[in-house]
Amino acid sequence: MRLARHRWWLARLAMLPVHLAVFAVAVFFLVRLMPGDPVLTIAGPNAEIDQATYDRIAADYGFDGSVGEQLVGYLGGLVGGDLGDSLVSQTSVAAELSTRLPATLELVALGMVVACLTALVASYIVVTRPRTMVARVLRVWARAAGAVPEFVIGVALITVTFVWLRIAPAPVGLTDRRTRVGDPVTGAPLLDSVLTGRFDVTASILAHLWVPLVVMALAFGDLLTKHLVSQLETSIDSPVTRFRAAVGVPRRRILLSVYRRALPAPVTVLGVMFGALLGGVVLLETLFNFQGLGQYALAASNAVDLTALQGFLLLTAAVSLVVFLVTDIAVMLLDPRRRPGAGGTR
Amino acid sequence: MTLIATPTTEAAPHAARTVRRRRGGVNPRLRVVPLAVIALVGLAGPLVVPHDPETVVGPPSAAPGAAHWFGTDSAGMDVFSRTVAATGTDLLIGLSVMVVATALGIAFGLVVGMNEARDSWWATPTRGLARLVDLVQAVPFLIAVIVILSLYGTGLVAMIVVLSLLLSPVQFRLTRSEVLRVRGEAYLDAARQAGYSEVRLVVRHVLPNAVRPALENTTVMFGAAIIAVAGLGFLGVGLAPPTPEWGTMISTGAAEIMMGRWWSAVFPAAALAAAVAAVVFLSTALVGDDRVR
Repeated sequence: MRLARHRWWLARLAMLPVHLAVFAVAVFFLVRLMPGDPVLTIAGPNAEIDQATYDRIAADYGFDGSVGEQLVGYLGGLVGGDLGDSLVSQTSVAAELSTRLPATLELVALGMVVACLTALVASYIVVTRPRTMVARVLRVWARAAGAVPEFVIGVALITVTFVWLRIAPAPVGLTDRRTRVGDPVTGAPLLDSVLTGRFDVTASILAHLWVPLVVMALAFGDLLTKHLVSQLETSIDSPVTRFRAAVGVPRRRILLSVYRRALPAPVTVLGVMFGALLGGVVLLETLFNFQGLGQYALAASNAVDLTALQGFLLLTAAVSLVVFLVTDIAVMLLDPRRRPGAGGTR
Repeated sequence: MTLIATPTTEAAPHAARTVRRRRGGVNPRLRVVPLAVIALVGLAGPLVVPHDPETVVGPPSAAPGAAHWFGTDSAGMDVFSRTVAATGTDLLIGLSVMVVATALGIAFGLVVGMNEARDSWWATPTRGLARLVDLVQAVPFLIAVIVILSLYGTGLVAMIVVLSLLLSPVQFRLTRSEVLRVRGEAYLDAARQAGYSEVRLVVRHVLPNAVRPALENTTVMFGAAIIAVAGLGFLGVGLAPPTPEWGTMISTGAAEIMMGRWWSAVFPAAALAAAVAAVVFLSTALVGDDRVR
């Protein structure tokens, strides 16, 4: 059967909507279990409202009727892509989030790329030149993974690059104030500037972006390096490698094979790291004053904007689930033994 | 950065060679010293600080000097006193979260691990619980903390409860996979034959043989909790402002840096980094010790 051959990833793909639905229900109850009456929260702490107003607010925000009816209404809205209206600005949460998501995802993706490049270069040095000073420093750096949170690295780098050395612009946004940015195409600023051919904007963005990217390379590359090095050292000593060396396979091809066999575990880490990066980007957006999901979420948090928070949580969960799916499939592509039913462990 | 302890431990068998190759190093027992010093500062510090950490005691933005060792912040509060006083707060949260998350994780790990493959009505709900925990871990940790705390309030207790609940899945998974390994061991069958009750069996034989990875991971829980508290403070959604807390101090200090006044952000940042580094230092000792064995 054709289909049977593709079952390993089709089965994984089919679980995604189920997971999303479970999440949606969990988030629904998370908000409903909040202490206090949500309708009174919406009305404001000091508002005195009569029964009619109370009923109207409850109906507007889907808090009327039994819990079952509320749940059905809420899930129905979700299927149609409706996350409800913000309690503060009365605008559609889905629309607000979708205009901000691309910029944040772009930053996360760039962060992932620099972290991966850092890990590849660092692990290469550590594995091929283990006795050098650089390799020793890199080893210590990787072993201390996670010791210094990204916002501390951020503050330190701003101090050094902006205050002392004056080689970076002030952390007050993604472009110079004078630079006029065109209309968004995809919503991701760097991509947009390239797509519309505004390379002056691209240059301005890159000038503002290199410090946060270095922060992400330092804050997230260490963990990847740690896992990559530990896997590389196992696979470089394995009989497979010895055999290749013994029969005279060129050094480059041996190293490629060593890397390929070492990759599954670090790729899994990459999937887990995505969540940490998303959280880290919210912090870095605040520190560098970038427009994105972070600012929206913080405003919602300070105003206890239930629908906005609910939508934000659902969106990040959905994005993370998709990333988990992609990493799972990538790992199974790299190492077919990890596919379900392949007879390996688990 | 925070919770990625799980894959580390999964990769553990492969890493054995790396660790053994390391020469020299500090006696594992001595690795507790940096954290002990920080704990001492947290306990005794608030009693001996030169100024009250929550009131204005000097001119705003004074540079470090004899009167104010670490200078004063933009409001005129003493940075040294606040940095020291914050140690207690952050350590209290870190310690509580570590204990509660580990206890919860181990308890659920034992129950689920012992029951999920059994032929009884009890198996399905425990398997469901295991899947649910997997899903909780799919939400980015910091984002879940921000959203839940802004819904449920950001007091000290709420913070400890929410952080513990969100971190316990890590401990749960570590314990569960150990229980799945232990449950097939012959000594359990022997104990059953000898007439042990199931509860006694779990407490006397499964528990001691299954808790090690979770206990080794406690330091990671501790570090993750401290970083989360500081991250929340940095974002302005953590403990209420006058409370001395490193993240809040770094965040207000970051604005000062732009004007060249580095001290009100750098000292709390260094304290935070030192605390987490002390925890990481200890955890490498715990895990490394196990592997060298």
